[in-house]
Amino acid sequence: LLGRDPTRRELVRHAVSAGGLAGAAVLSPASALAGSSAAQSDAAVIGRLLGLELLVVFTYDHVLASSLISPHARQVLGPLLAQDKAHVGALTAALARLGGTPPPGPADIAQADRYLAGRRVSGRLGQLRGGRDALRLLLAIEHVAEGAYYVSMLTLGDPQLLRLGAEMMASEAQHTTLISLLLHPGVPTQAVPYALVQGRH
Amino acid sequence: VSAVALIAGCGGSSVRGPANQVPQRLLRSDVESFNRALDLERRSIAAYTAGIPLLQGSDAMAAKQFLSQELAHAGELLGLIRDAGGTAIPRVASYDLGHPRTARQVLALLEMLENRQIAAYVAAIPTLSTGSVRASVASILADDAQHVSILRVALGSTAATSAFVTGRE
Repeated sequence: LLGRDPTRRELVRHAVSAGGLAGAAVLSPASALAGSSAAQSDAAVIGRLLGLELLVVFTYDHVLASSLISPHARQVLGPLLAQDKAHVGALTAALARLGGTPPPGPADIAQADRYLAGRRVSGRLGQLRGGRDALRLLLAIEHVAEGAYYVSMLTLGDPQLLRLGAEMMASEAQHTTLISLLLHPGVPTQAVPYALVQGRH
Repeated sequence: VSAVALIAGCGGSSVRGPANQVPQRLLRSDVESFNRALDLERRSIAAYTAGIPLLQGSDAMAAKQFLSQELAHAGELLGLIRDAGGTAIPRVASYDLGHPRTARQVLALLEMLENRQIAAYVAAIPTLSTGSVRASVASILADDAQHVSILRVALGSTAATSAFVTGRE
C-alpha cells in the first residue's frame, strides 16, 4: 500500500485483514483512508505534535511537582496542564484512527532536557533556579507548541484534523498569554504582543 | 485617526503562496470566507473604537493594543482577498453594537465579538484551499483567542476555559 494511492477496495481489504471482521463492520469512509499516502502524511504530523505535547506535559508536571512556583502560579498553571493533557488525548485518538504509533514521551528529566535542546528551548528542567525560571521555560515550550500547530496548518490535509489543530493552536496561544501575565502581572499588553501569532518554529 | 484609514493602509502577509497555483473555484470560496471574517473584524474594530473611552487603566491600554491588532487582521484579510483575485465587501456605515454604558458591559461586548470571530475562523480553516492561507488565518485566530483570555481576566472570569478553543465556550 505504500507505493501508490490504494483503491478503496484495497483499503477495505487491508483494514479487514488488520482489524478482523469487527473492524470491518465499523469501517467508515474516513477510517478507510488509514494507510493512504494522505493519511500517512497526516499521521506523521500528528505524531510529531503528540511527541511535543508529551514533552509539554512532562515539563508542566515537573514544574508543578516542584516547590519553585507560587500558590497563585500553581492555581493558574494547573488548568493549563489539564488542557495540554486533553491535547495529548485528542492527538493520541487521532493518531490511532490514522493507524499511527504514538511516540514515547520523555522517560526522565535528562531525556526531557535533551528533547528541549532538540527543540531549541534554552531552559532545562534540571537547572531551574526559581519560579521565574520555571515560568520562562513553560512559556518557551508553549511558544514551540504554538509554532508546531501553526506549521501543521501548512501540511495537514484532513479537514477534521485541521479544525482540531486550529482549536489547539488557539488554546496554546491562550496558555502563552496567561504565563506571560504571571511573568508580568498587570501588564496585559505584554501578554499579547503580536497581531499574527505564529509561535516559534 | 479613523479605523477606515488604518484598514486601508494595512498590508498583507509574507507567508502566502502564489494565488495562481490554486483552482479558481476554491479561491472563490476562500474569498467568501475572508469576507465573512472581514465583516466580523470591522464590527470588532467599531466596538473597540467606541468602547475604549469607557475603559480605564490596563484595560484601556490592552483594548488599544487589541484594536491595533484587529486593524492588522483586517489588513491581512484584505491582502488575502486581493491575492485571491477577489473583491472585499464594502464597509457598512455603522454597526448595531447595543448600548454598553459601563466598562464591564464594554468588556463583555468585546469578548462576545472576539468569540464570534474565533468561531468563524475555526469553521473556515478546514475549507481554505492552501496551507499558507490556513496558516495565515490560524495566526489571526490565535491572536483573537489571546484577546479573549485577557478580556476574561478583566471580567474576573476563567481565562482559558477549554483545551479546544471554538469561540463557543
